[in-house]
Amino acid sequence: MKRFRIRRILIEKGAENDSLAKRILKKLPNIPREDVEPYELAPREDIEGMDKESLRIIHFNGEFLKPCPGTKRYICCGYKILNVGINCPMDCSYCFLQSYVNQPSLRIFSNLKDNLNVLGDIIDSSPDRIFRIGSGEFTDSLSLDYLTGWTDFLLPFFSHRDNCILELKTKTSFTKSLIGSKYRKGIVVAWSLNSHHIIANEEHKTADLKQRILAAQECQKAGFLLGFHFDPLINYPGWEDGYQETVQLLERYIAPDSIIWISLGTFRYMPDLKWAIKRRFPGINIFNSEFVMGLDGKFRYFKPIRVEMYAKLSERLNKWYDDLGLYLCMESDDVWRQSLGWSPKNSANLCTYLDNRVRRLVADLKVPKI
Amino acid sequence: MEKKAFKSTPLQVEISDIDLSPGPFCMSFNFDLEPLKDSIDRFGVLNPPYLLKNSDGNFTVVAGYRRLLAVRELGLPDIVCQILPDDIPPFEALLLNLNDNLAYRHLNSVEKGMILKRLTRFLKREEIVTSFMPILGIPSNRQTLELLLDLEELEERIRISVARERLSLRVAGLMGTLGRDDRLRINDLFTSLRWSFNRQWEACQWIIEIASREGRSIKEVMDEREIIAVLNNEKINNPQKVKSIVRILKARRFPSLLEAEESFKKGLSNLSLPSGVKVIPPAFFEGIDYKLEIVFKKGGELKEKLAELCHLSGLERITEFWRGREHR
Repeated sequence: MKRFRIRRILIEKGAENDSLAKRILKKLPNIPREDVEPYELAPREDIEGMDKESLRIIHFNGEFLKPCPGTKRYICCGYKILNVGINCPMDCSYCFLQSYVNQPSLRIFSNLKDNLNVLGDIIDSSPDRIFRIGSGEFTDSLSLDYLTGWTDFLLPFFSHRDNCILELKTKTSFTKSLIGSKYRKGIVVAWSLNSHHIIANEEHKTADLKQRILAAQECQKAGFLLGFHFDPLINYPGWEDGYQETVQLLERYIAPDSIIWISLGTFRYMPDLKWAIKRRFPGINIFNSEFVMGLDGKFRYFKPIRVEMYAKLSERLNKWYDDLGLYLCMESDDVWRQSLGWSPKNSANLCTYLDNRVRRLVADLKVPKI
Repeated sequence: MEKKAFKSTPLQVEISDIDLSPGPFCMSFNFDLEPLKDSIDRFGVLNPPYLLKNSDGNFTVVAGYRRLLAVRELGLPDIVCQILPDDIPPFEALLLNLNDNLAYRHLNSVEKGMILKRLTRFLKREEIVTSFMPILGIPSNRQTLELLLDLEELEERIRISVARERLSLRVAGLMGTLGRDDRLRINDLFTSLRWSFNRQWEACQWIIEIASREGRSIKEVMDEREIIAVLNNEKINNPQKVKSIVRILKARRFPSLLEAEESFKKGLSNLSLPSGVKVIPPAFFEGIDYKLEIVFKKGGELKEKLAELCHLSGLERITEFWRGREHR
């Protein structure tokens, strides 16, 4: 997998002296650079096109640690998002960012490293609580790591703490800096997985399935805990065989006992996203199945379709190994019961279930000598 | 808008010297000239049109396009017009016509689209959204702007449907993604039966998605035997035809959902609920909360109905009815 091309760098006023900005400029000495004002309105064309080849470096004044925007109407996992930036150089057709962001470009927050102490205070002030934190919600955790060096400073920061894990969620095979680091404890490297068919047709510019699984294998061999996310599961003719093949590949290359969790989530979208996607990807057919309005205002597959997908995939995964930490993302109690045969009943219990997996698997972690 | 004063000169102009093709300032579409002709015939032209002199000596219409057409149709040889200075900036001429139109008449959606399109020659889209769409009484957002701008690309038959408010603007926008024959076919279906805008939107999406799901053309979906039979059925009226077509399309677009709805309905009817008692399932069976509605006139009647419900066998399985047999 090749590194992503950056054609121009936009530096917002106030970001130029941040350590991360200096690092990026040093890494990309020959890329045209423009100094720009913060809050400058971008042309609509750029917003709709996402302008994924411009890197905007921003001195971020918001909160770096945020709760995952779940919903009260479904069971959520209590995840926390480490806000390292927004937008991603890959181009998945279904990506929610297409209607979520109102500004274009790959947006990197240059003062993250300088603000880690604030994050540390939050985590350290609740030593009995487990913080499950991920940086792959609004961007890909590793796609721009070669420029930002996120892993260089995030790994030691999280590894030195006992009550948190950092999940680096990716669709790339960029694991070199991770494997070269000496930190393992509290770090989960996670891959978003799908079927060959969906990866080939909808997950543009990402690593293919085998590359992802081989990268995961490499990380596992190097002593990292792994996570996998079958999200979004897409209902298309042949989905069952497609996802079975993905599980077969996992079986072939991955040892299941150091997988901290595997989440399942079917494709869901806010009404606006459909039109944003159709504008950018005319002729797309991921909307062909039966979608109905969910309790949170998002369209989801009609419940029996979701249940069937979850049930078949979880049955197959459980056949592989019965302690994979399977959970559903934003689903209701009845869907949990019908598809997995049990339910945490509410978000608090799902949190506890996942926190307990952190306690158990992080404590069990045997770090190989490197 | 900035206040401008234009020094125009009155001139008696022969109709044959005026270029009466819709020019760069025209914002008229699908109008009925008869009332205007009657008015001019009786009272003359009360407000003179504004013209610009061309390099070839003829005149371009800035404002008063319809008045000039009416005068021509009435067979009048000439008319007093106001001639604008040659150096008037085209943008100012456009604004003059816009203000003239805003003051005297209602603009249809196609005409609003024409105005916006002409404005894009001079202004950024953001400025049009914030400064001009409110004046035209249009929701000020980029999406609506794009819909209106794209109207000009559609066939005249479709634009007429939009102008006459027979076809929803949103649906016209969606039609832009289809081929010419397909959009005309959908336009004709909606306008001939007078579908409501919401129904049009729903059905248009379903037709496109059914074609995509089933790997068929829009024509094949619309020419389906059942739909043709409804259209040819002389025993039902237009609203009934619309309802039947919606049902046919829904069954093809949402087979599992429709099957669940049918199963639920069938289960309820087998229960023999007391009269005036209704059970409302959660929307799309997504939630788990059902509602019970009881119509009664007296407390005694309510008690009777509740007692009857309590003894109704099978009521405890009511939330399972929709599952029917296995879906998909």
